[in-house]
Amino acid sequence: MLSISQLVDMQWKLGMAVSSDTCRSLNSPYVSLLLKIAEPSGQICQRSFEMTIPQFQNFHKQFKEMAAVME
Amino acid sequence: MLLVLSEDHKEHLSFLPKVDSAVVGEFGRIALEFLRRGTSPKIYEGAARKLSVPVETVQHGVEGLMFLMTESSKHMISEVDFLDSVLVLGFGEELNQILLQLYLQHHAQIRSILSQLPSNLPAYHNLEWRLDVQLASRPLRQQVVPMVTMRLLLVGGGAGGHSSRVLQTDPSSLLHLISTLEAALATMKSSHARRIFRNIK
Repeated sequence: MLSISQLVDMQWKLGMAVSSDTCRSLNSPYVSLLLKIAEPSGQICQRSFEMTIPQFQNFHKQFKEMAAVME
Repeated sequence: MLLVLSEDHKEHLSFLPKVDSAVVGEFGRIALEFLRRGTSPKIYEGAARKLSVPVETVQHGVEGLMFLMTESSKHMISEVDFLDSVLVLGFGEELNQILLQLYLQHHAQIRSILSQLPSNLPAYHNLEWRLDVQLASRPLRQQVVPMVTMRLLLVGGGAGGHSSRVLQTDPSSLLHLISTLEAALATMKSSHARRIFRNIK
């Protein structure tokens, strides 16, 4: 086995960006993911990132393809 | 206050009277560029070739000149003290005047460069923010939770370049943060702080 980190948990959130310092009137939905990763040393670290809806749909498509390949 | 120059320093500077004033002026310019942007061996090699002296002599001359300027600027020594400090080198009147002019013209700029040197902690550069409404999460659907996401952009801090931290908070914590920061700013106007600032000036 390679010493690669393992995915331990995945949390998601769906939100709507309403306003920002550069644009006071936004209307932008996004998905944010929080991954809990166990490093080879055993230490757990967290990585979070955001996607727009089209990006998330692409993300979802990748996983569906992975699942299809495994069948 | 008089500068006390070490023997090595005096030796490095002893090269200066052997070249003419235009060259001293040029060395002064190189020394200041050194402070602003660092130096490269090519500059020293070019000058050494033109003057037919070893590269080391040119390098020591420029570095000695730079050190003289930074030490003088650091302590903000007066014109008189500068001339007295330089007298010990035994240079001619013309060279002493050139060095003095170099000091007078650039000490403010040198002080401003020196003040930026000890930056150990990252410093504020910019704050970007976004107001979000969380609508759903893995454990709970049909929510309406306002959240403020911020990106704090920092500069310096040993890493040299830029770094950023992404933070998230709810509106009431943000209000608390704002009032804490305002209270901190308000202490600048307290009589205790005013007394201290008056005494420093």
